[in-house]
Amino acid sequence: MASTSFLPKTISPFLTNPPSLPSTHFTTKPSFLNPPADHLACTRKSSILTPSAKKKNPWIDIFDDGEDPDMEYGSLFVDGKQEEDTRPADNPNNPYGFLKFPKGFNIEVAQLGLKIRGDIRRCCCMISGGVYENLLFFPVIQMLKDRYPGILVDVLASDRGKQCYELNKNVRWANVYDPDGDPEPAVYTDMIGILKNRYYDSILSTKLAGLGHAAFMFMSSARDKVSYIYPNVNAAGADLLLTETFKPDSTNLSEGGYHMYHQMLDWLGRAYYNVPRQPVPPLRVSISRKLKEYVEAKYRAAGAEKGKYIVIHGIESDSKASMQSKGDTDSLLPLEVWDKITDDISGLKPVFVIPNEKERENVEEIIYNEDIGILFITTPGQLAALINDSAGVIATNTAAIQLANAREKPSIALFGSEEKGKLFVPKAEEKKCTIISSKTGKLIDIDVGAVKQALQIFDMSLALV
Amino acid sequence: MAEAIAGFTIAKPHILNSLQKTKLDLKPCSRWLWQCSSTRLFSGWQQPKGSNRKRASLSKVNAFPDWPLMAVMVEHIEGQRDLITYKSIWHLSDQAIKNVYVFYIMFTCWGCLFFGAMKDPYYDSEAYRKDGGDGSGHWVYDKQEDIEESARAELWREELIEEIEQKVGGLRELEEAGRK
Repeated sequence: MASTSFLPKTISPFLTNPPSLPSTHFTTKPSFLNPPADHLACTRKSSILTPSAKKKNPWIDIFDDGEDPDMEYGSLFVDGKQEEDTRPADNPNNPYGFLKFPKGFNIEVAQLGLKIRGDIRRCCCMISGGVYENLLFFPVIQMLKDRYPGILVDVLASDRGKQCYELNKNVRWANVYDPDGDPEPAVYTDMIGILKNRYYDSILSTKLAGLGHAAFMFMSSARDKVSYIYPNVNAAGADLLLTETFKPDSTNLSEGGYHMYHQMLDWLGRAYYNVPRQPVPPLRVSISRKLKEYVEAKYRAAGAEKGKYIVIHGIESDSKASMQSKGDTDSLLPLEVWDKITDDISGLKPVFVIPNEKERENVEEIIYNEDIGILFITTPGQLAALINDSAGVIATNTAAIQLANAREKPSIALFGSEEKGKLFVPKAEEKKCTIISSKTGKLIDIDVGAVKQALQIFDMSLALV
Repeated sequence: MAEAIAGFTIAKPHILNSLQKTKLDLKPCSRWLWQCSSTRLFSGWQQPKGSNRKRASLSKVNAFPDWPLMAVMVEHIEGQRDLITYKSIWHLSDQAIKNVYVFYIMFTCWGCLFFGAMKDPYYDSEAYRKDGGDGSGHWVYDKQEDIEESARAELWREELIEEIEQKVGGLRELEEAGRK
């Protein structure tokens, strides 16, 4: 290194990884500096441990050469996943109320083991986007629960997106903080204080991070700061402050469809020593009894019977509650098209879900079919309860489709193009979902005849019921 | 003074040796005390020398090192009565006066703010005094979050019970199938 310091570019050794130093600097390189056999073994082992091995940022730790191949993980910590409850058992014989700590238990050393294993006790998820994006984040939360037993998951989401967590049993606290928005300084600093006070082990963020968002996560003092970053130059400097970064395929994460968080899922469920790779759980929502009762009263008032109506979602409106994905902006149909679709539905009552009360008049005017119900629903929780009691769903690409799939209800999904359909509803047959896509690439040109034909799946399910 | 010291140095062995001689030895001691009380009891006595006709002495009493509380001046003039002047005015140094004024200003400013705030209608207004989120008079800011959190915990329990019931049902079916 001393010889290189006389060269004009003295900074270059620090910018690159030590193994990738220009070999011209070491003309008489001793052989022990780069033993070929060991080096190969090291790379092979690390490639097994981390399949998505990325080039490390040398700025974070210039002496970090990766995993130590000779490291022996013996009895330092228990192999496998973390335990659900690490509290030692009560000791009734102890007059002071001390717990039954194992012999030689040292709290610092115990923490060290947990750090090596990567235990996560408290995790915060910052989710960018609205209802749709938050709904698709549910599998990630389930993955966290499965992979790290005993984890406490908290959520920060936008005010619309937070409403989703009525449907998620795995979340502890959900707070409103829109990572996409431009918060007031007071709100910003307050949220940093809240995050610091909660002592998170890990923060996951699905906002594409630049330096600003990375700094926010850094200031929360969490151990692992995991985030998506911009796939372009806006990410400059973000990975200095983050421990793990994911680069999405495009600047709009939602364009990834159902698997929009696949990089994060891949990383969270990674195989680790004796823990095999965690399979990705499907999207599931749970609906509380209270919510079911409330929504039942609501649709009874609208004149619908349990199991004898079809939910229709995706009416074009300027409301913010239409629950579209950010990755598919052309996903709402005007009432005229819905009128044609619902023209001759018989036996099952079409229930139109309106995102705003002002749409009620329009629906009453335009829809020719008299035997319909109109329900004003803006929250995903109520929509899920409604779908749960329905015979099926006809919807454009809104959260209703994902909810129907999550509750395993038959559904007809109307998409602007076939690719979008495949992206947002993969494995449609397994989910009892019929995808009908427009030939022209615009949703409004959808083939109404095909939709009417597809309506038979509801009759079949009704016959089964 | 020298006599007194001599008295002490002589007295010491006498006290040790015999009680009889102590009475005699007390004499110089008491004389020394008397001398001191007349001349040097007040350390502040200052006797200006130089004129035989008029002598004056001054005594000061300090409350604090820098804070003279009272001064007594006694002037002796031959053939006349002593002229005694009492001065009981506080004499504050410049620094002390400055400190007093600084304290006064600071108290006034603080008082304007504090007692002014007591009259502030905001603190009597509904915005400040109304009941908290739970009706207790205390604002509990996390109330909504806590309700939601407990609702989710309840949901989790419901699902768990459902799962257990399903498993138990499945086991029963298996048992019945085994019996048949």
